[in-house]
Amino acid sequence: MTATAEPAQLHRRRVDWTNVAMGTWGVLMFAFLFAPIIVIVAYSFNTGRLLTSWNGFGVQGYTDLFDNPVAQSTVWVSIRAGVIAALVSTTLGSLAGVALARRPGRWVPFFLVVLTLVLVTPEIVDAVALLPWFVRLGTDWGLVAFSNGLVRLVVAHSLFAAAVVALIVRARMQGLDESLEESAADLYATPWNRFRQITLPLMMPAVLAGALMSFTLSLDNTIISSFISVTGNTPWPVYVFSSVRSGLRPEIAAVSTLMLLLTLVAIGIVGLVLRRGGESSGGIARTMTGG
Amino acid sequence: MSDEVLATPGVRKWRAPGFALALPAWAWFVLFFVLPVGFVILLSFGAKPDIFRPYSLEVLSFDQYAKALDPAYGPTLKNTLRVGITGTIACLVIALPFAYWLAVRVPPRWRGLLLGLVLVPFWTNFLVRTIGWQLIISPDGIASSVLQQLGIISQPLNFLYSRSAVLLGVVYNYLPLMILPLFVAFDRLDPTLREASKDLGASRFRTFTQVTLPLAMPGVVAGLALVFIPLMGDYITAEVLGGAKGNMLGQLIASQFLSAQNWPLGAAMAVLLMLSITVTGLLFALIGVTVRSALRRRRRIVIDTGEVAA
Repeated sequence: MTATAEPAQLHRRRVDWTNVAMGTWGVLMFAFLFAPIIVIVAYSFNTGRLLTSWNGFGVQGYTDLFDNPVAQSTVWVSIRAGVIAALVSTTLGSLAGVALARRPGRWVPFFLVVLTLVLVTPEIVDAVALLPWFVRLGTDWGLVAFSNGLVRLVVAHSLFAAAVVALIVRARMQGLDESLEESAADLYATPWNRFRQITLPLMMPAVLAGALMSFTLSLDNTIISSFISVTGNTPWPVYVFSSVRSGLRPEIAAVSTLMLLLTLVAIGIVGLVLRRGGESSGGIARTMTGG
Repeated sequence: MSDEVLATPGVRKWRAPGFALALPAWAWFVLFFVLPVGFVILLSFGAKPDIFRPYSLEVLSFDQYAKALDPAYGPTLKNTLRVGITGTIACLVIALPFAYWLAVRVPPRWRGLLLGLVLVPFWTNFLVRTIGWQLIISPDGIASSVLQQLGIISQPLNFLYSRSAVLLGVVYNYLPLMILPLFVAFDRLDPTLREASKDLGASRFRTFTQVTLPLAMPGVVAGLALVFIPLMGDYITAEVLGGAKGNMLGQLIASQFLSAQNWPLGAAMAVLLMLSITVTGLLFALIGVTVRSALRRRRRIVIDTGEVAA
């Protein structure tokens, strides 16, 4: 790129056509990727009775949403489940991640196998595994907590998320020099102080990113939720899914748009946190995909 | 190392074993992943005794597997595999040039922004995106009215609730999972390798197939796995865009658990799903390894003459 003018120009003239083709492909891809999202946002302003046929522009979908206590309660269920699931999975995952990075031993391969299995198991298998299990725990063995819809959602949503957090935190800790913690120990810091004053601040970007990711994963979870959710504690995607069969109304697009905004804000914060932590865009992509 | 450092301050304190911090996560995964999945595998050998109980484990047999593979349900497994394999390959073909463009050709200052844009659909609810496609391709939707206005079709578009619509939906839904690992793989590559290849006289196509692509192989494999595994278990896309035809295994599993209340049959289908994912994955891995070793043998370089053999 910083080559002398003449070869650069020769080079450019030859490159052009593939670049144009690839650029066109790129633009088409973005159009493809965004088409349904733009449509949903646009149709949330549809005033028709049915979502599919466009009638006119208006905010009726949103006002309907505010007059619909069922829809609103599903949003609150999702947010509550998301926050608690994020706390649970971040705590479990962070501790596991630190242990993976700092306490290597013979247990690590076994644990990684379980983590990998959790990550690669299709959601529907988790769903069909958890439904009978919750019934067994809650009804057959009398652990009534597992008949509670919120508990079920939190447990189900925290599994995948905890595995993701563990990997993110492990990656972060492996990238950090252990000598900081060792020197704190040399200076007679107690293990707790060492953890609080050295380890925790160092791992914080990964923990925060993990927490926000767990939250959004929970907010969006549809497959497992639709199996295990209990009447009265229905999260919003399950509500939307049930209306696919009973008839889509503009308020469904309105609630989807609002939840999309919420997710994007959360993701934006993750991106900022990671960027301030000095990650490259490739690193962010890696983190976001849980690899 | 840190153990010795910790041991130096005189008093030898009891130290928790290394896995202590991971213990809560261990317990969580065992209690809510390992045991439930184990239970479902056990369930798949059970039976549905009567209409009131979803399962019974008094007699264990392979009956549910036979039933899941009989002509009533068997074709669905085949169709799921077909959608899974076609969809995954389509994702790869579509995402490969795009991810390459994003990681290599786009000016670095735009890269972060564009990558962020790719992540937006990734983080938009899966179901919502699928409903978006329903709005686009439904007979009274946008695509239909645009195509009619242009005079390309005279009738309302009859595309929704077809197999092709499901394929479109799954390709769309899992595309970001292919783009991201490919992007990471291309992004990691050292540009000087491409330059070296060019300096040595390789054409751009040759550089791509013999330098870039082999080095990006881990990303390709990751992308294939990330797309194929959830795609095989998908039932939401098929439900929203494929209608009540029930062409994906996930839909059958869901109906056994949620409406028919025949848990053992649903469990057997879920185990078959996992088996077919694993077997297909291994099969493709085997093909991949064979092809790679064949290519390597063909392209082996004989050092002392400095020429490419055959």
